[in-house]
Amino acid sequence: MNFDAVDSGVYPELIYPPYKSTVKRGPTQAPLRINAAAATTTNLFASPRLILPHDMDMTAQGQGEPLGEKIVVTGRVLDEDGKPVRNSLLEVWQCNSAGRYWHKRDQHDAPLDPNFTGFGKMLTDDDGRYRFVTIKPGPYPWGNHHKAWRPAHIHFSMFGNVYAQRLVTQMYFPSDPLFEYDPIFQSIPDAAARQRLISRFSLEETVDDKMLGYEFDIVLRGRNATPMGI
Amino acid sequence: MTSKITTSQTIGPFPHEAWRWAVDMTANVESSAPKIVVKGAIFDGDGVAINDAWVETWMPDSAPVETAHAIPGYRRVPSNDEGGFSLQITMPQAAITGKPVAYVTVFARGLTKHQFTAVFLEDDAGLAQSEILVQVPQQRRDTLIAKKQADGSYLWNINMQGAQETVFFDYI
Repeated sequence: MNFDAVDSGVYPELIYPPYKSTVKRGPTQAPLRINAAAATTTNLFASPRLILPHDMDMTAQGQGEPLGEKIVVTGRVLDEDGKPVRNSLLEVWQCNSAGRYWHKRDQHDAPLDPNFTGFGKMLTDDDGRYRFVTIKPGPYPWGNHHKAWRPAHIHFSMFGNVYAQRLVTQMYFPSDPLFEYDPIFQSIPDAAARQRLISRFSLEETVDDKMLGYEFDIVLRGRNATPMGI
Repeated sequence: MTSKITTSQTIGPFPHEAWRWAVDMTANVESSAPKIVVKGAIFDGDGVAINDAWVETWMPDSAPVETAHAIPGYRRVPSNDEGGFSLQITMPQAAITGKPVAYVTVFARGLTKHQFTAVFLEDDAGLAQSEILVQVPQQRRDTLIAKKQADGSYLWNINMQGAQETVFFDYI
């Protein structure tokens, strides 16, 4: 595949002082644009056997129903030509409805839910579509500054069809009042790029009286995929 | 044409349990092919070890000799309290000449976008002809080359900033 340079402002700033830990961790030199055929033509193979029965229903991984608002999240993973990224591994993780991660270092004083870990994984289908059921995550404080609260989000990790398409990002929910105060969201200079991280409420994807639906389409970098599907 | 790509966001501090499945699945390599170990640590701009980073590798040349592996040619390793990581790499029958033994992706809290890099071995006779290294300014190539240690392993550190800032790539 071919990877055009990304327009200025689309990626977040690597060093963005309001997000304090970027200051010493973000590279100072611009990435070097290079040709490397293996990176743009090959990738790992994720077997369907990697996906466990409840990986796509994060409300069905415990002994009972988790607390909170059950939702379904779906969308398509596309490349820059608009072609579906098929049979591609996608991971999601998130905090629970109270804003607490299932993680030993999360010290937020909010309850864990014994029926919710917040981990999922799946493969996209032949149309590039993914779909999972979960609990709407809560906002949580993170100590970056006084009254620093993250807008509710779900982390997405995508492997694409070639190695250079790898992407990790966060999906947000519509109309979150915390957007303008969140340095992680605001580290992206381009307003349109920020908007593309916000999912869309979908009545069509809403399942009867079971759960509300949200749509989140993802465009990975890369053009001119080979006809063989990669 | 203006691209409408989905932008990146940090992995944050909390992927460990969610990402663990792939660490467990890819830790042990079942292959009779020879193996090498590349060890190192990841440091921030003050030389402080980054203890919550993640290193992933894609090893296209190793994948064909790891057919029994859950995800052939792939590893995912969290950095430890000293910033350290260790990568077991299966070597194919034909030497990997002038090519990286692993394409490496780095993730961390405070890293707003993952970084691509690659690691080469210093005793690779093909380094001078490497199609990748020739694209890297000579004075920075050393940051991509793992050094052979007395115990046979290779040492390769990742520096996010500073005089020895690792070369990070954007693939064309």
